[in-house]
Amino acid sequence: MDKKPKNSLTKSSRKEGRQLSLMTVPVVVWYALFCYLPLFGIFFAFKDFTPVPGESLLKNLFVNSPWVGFRNFSYIFRNPQIRSIIFNTLLYNIIFLVAGIVIPVTLAILLSEIHQKMFKGFVQMTLVLPYFISWVIVGYCVYGFLSTDTGVYNSLLDHFGADKVQWYQSPQYWRVILIVLGIWKSCGYTMVIYMCSITAIDRTLYESASLDGASFWQRVRFITLPHLKTTISTLFILGIGSILTSDFGLFYQVPMDSNALQEVTQTLDVYVYKSLMQNANFSYSSAASFLQSIVGCILLIISNVIVSKMDKESALI
Amino acid sequence: MKHKIISIFLIFVLAASTLNGCSRIQDERDGVIRLRWVAYGTSVPDDIDKIIKAANDYSRDKIGVVVDLEVQPTEMINLIMASGEYYDMIFTCEWLNSYDTGASKNLFYDITDLVQTETPQLYDIIGDYWECAKLNGRIYGVPTLKDMGSEMMYRLNSDYFEGEKGMTIPDFMTFADIEPYLEAYKKDFPYKYPLAVTKGGIPGFINFLERIIGTVVVIPYKSETPKAIPIWESEELMERFRLLHKWYTLGYIHPDASAIESNGLDKDTPVRFGVAWRGYSGYSNPADWGFNVKTSIYDGPYLSRATEQGAMIGICAGCDEEHAKASLKYIELLNTDRKFRDILAYGIEGEHFNYLKNGTVLRTQTGVDRYQVGLYAFGSVVNASVESVSTEFLSDPDQWTKVFEGYKEYGIRSKTNGFVYDKTRKEDIIAAVNAIYSNYSTDLMTGTSDPDIVIPKMKQELIDAGIYELIDDIQSQLDEHLASTK
Repeated sequence: MDKKPKNSLTKSSRKEGRQLSLMTVPVVVWYALFCYLPLFGIFFAFKDFTPVPGESLLKNLFVNSPWVGFRNFSYIFRNPQIRSIIFNTLLYNIIFLVAGIVIPVTLAILLSEIHQKMFKGFVQMTLVLPYFISWVIVGYCVYGFLSTDTGVYNSLLDHFGADKVQWYQSPQYWRVILIVLGIWKSCGYTMVIYMCSITAIDRTLYESASLDGASFWQRVRFITLPHLKTTISTLFILGIGSILTSDFGLFYQVPMDSNALQEVTQTLDVYVYKSLMQNANFSYSSAASFLQSIVGCILLIISNVIVSKMDKESALI
Repeated sequence: MKHKIISIFLIFVLAASTLNGCSRIQDERDGVIRLRWVAYGTSVPDDIDKIIKAANDYSRDKIGVVVDLEVQPTEMINLIMASGEYYDMIFTCEWLNSYDTGASKNLFYDITDLVQTETPQLYDIIGDYWECAKLNGRIYGVPTLKDMGSEMMYRLNSDYFEGEKGMTIPDFMTFADIEPYLEAYKKDFPYKYPLAVTKGGIPGFINFLERIIGTVVVIPYKSETPKAIPIWESEELMERFRLLHKWYTLGYIHPDASAIESNGLDKDTPVRFGVAWRGYSGYSNPADWGFNVKTSIYDGPYLSRATEQGAMIGICAGCDEEHAKASLKYIELLNTDRKFRDILAYGIEGEHFNYLKNGTVLRTQTGVDRYQVGLYAFGSVVNASVESVSTEFLSDPDQWTKVFEGYKEYGIRSKTNGFVYDKTRKEDIIAAVNAIYSNYSTDLMTGTSDPDIVIPKMKQELIDAGIYELIDDIQSQLDEHLASTK
């Protein structure tokens, strides 16, 4: 009697397991095709890529191109501004990393307290919408506000008798402008992720807490935030992984590549684009992205170790 | 019912594909050679298929060669080259898909002997201009005969300046001579900007210097012994930067010039820049602007290896001899058969364009809307009929003879004897130098920044990046080249 149910259970669970594994097939195939298969491209970074027309890419890469070691990386460090470029990249990314947690979490908590459906939907949509607008369009809208002779802000300044500002020649304002725009565009999207996690929290917890006389702040502090911990740390660790990568659209399209703003807008991606714009050198560009990925990967692993030391469940691996 | 529609549709698809296949099979049976020709263009004209068909019908009869013509933008051409894709003919030049780089890496077919034996007519037509295609004495591409030197000009609203203000627009002036015109317009329209300058800079601005590395390292045409210099050592250029900055502060140039694209400009801006040749009438059509335009040349014509390499056609190194010969035959036809060349240049006679009495061409509205391509990107410009802008503004059908005679007469020629700099050893410095210069170039070119403040800063950065190491390398290669060609 004992054995029978056990047996049927394993059978059905095995069957279920098989079905579940089958469901992962598309994902596995997708990763294999688009993430693992192109990995051979790393070799571009260490080769002087000289293709022979009419021959296959693989033969051109492995047979026809000579090894050059780390020579493809040297142009990155040739630029005397490289320090300020790396500083910019890190600065913006750290700000986005912190603000990208604090602001969306706050918004998600506030929004989950709103129970009027129409209004909630409206606010949510307004916040998410910017995520879908291309940076090029954002760039032109910003120009509409900041244009020197016909822009909205300068017309206002003029109206009140203040001097006009040449926005695209004044780097001092742009750190703030870029940070505000970056957060404006991404926070709605991240907020939705946090809102999903909040919805998943057992409602009865809140009910019993309210019955026990917990205030709003106490409910957030002792119920919501602890439940969000895993999601926050996951997004944080993933964000660390792309610490040397920056949103090219934000730093190149939005400032309209204005020369005077370079000191605050030039990030690693922008520099790579500019140095290779004139001659398409695939070896150089793969060297740059290889560098970004390696630094990102190392930082990701380190931060994962730190997180798992603090709280094992929140770590990724 | 639904099934019926679907099946009818499928029949059509099948029929269409077999018909298309049929003509290909027929071609193969007849020994007609099909070439993949990659030309340059930023957009594909609507009627391209029709025109290729007409051109193929013509060339099939004449030389037994047809083409699959592709119009590709810069990025795609670079990608095709970099990934080693197969093609037969491709657009190459000094400023896109670099001819010298491609030739030095043996990416193009060595046609030195083949062109003389197979297509002697083509060899004669290009004549002296083969020089610009020679690398170590070998030829790897066919130069396109077009305007071979660059002449820079102002394009002025003559209704306003001559008609209203009573000023005269001379045929030639200096770069600085434009100032009184700008001043006059600014006085009348204080809220407008008379000089068309945008982020894209000024066309041909730096053409009075021979470019070696982008626009950072140059060789002045006028110096007796050619010497590679960084741009800040060209006093003439510095003067122009200062002038532009002066104009900028006086409000002749849009205050956001360094941020706006050319389409952000007022259409009736009265002074614009242009690069063309003497006798070019494309700028003067009043229907385009709403006013009459007169041009005044301020620079040129300068001729160097770079300007002569303005457009070329390269044949793939991976071609077999049969395809290389067919490609040359095809290029020869483009250079010798005016009727054939006009098909690819303007479309189908009667539909896209008509011949005028004096032998020039006038596009129809269909031609303007549905088939506009850069003439230089599709083979010989000189062999195509000259275009008139309207029945009143007739162009000179024989303008090219005069232009080419003009080059001989007053062309300013480079003294570098076709020097090509081999970039491979210093590629990392070049990448860094280009990036640094691009941080300053737009503001300098638009007059936005004061050159006396900005240039010293830029100079220091370029020196730190190793620009003098680069220049030494260029100079030693240049000296070697000059010694060997003396």
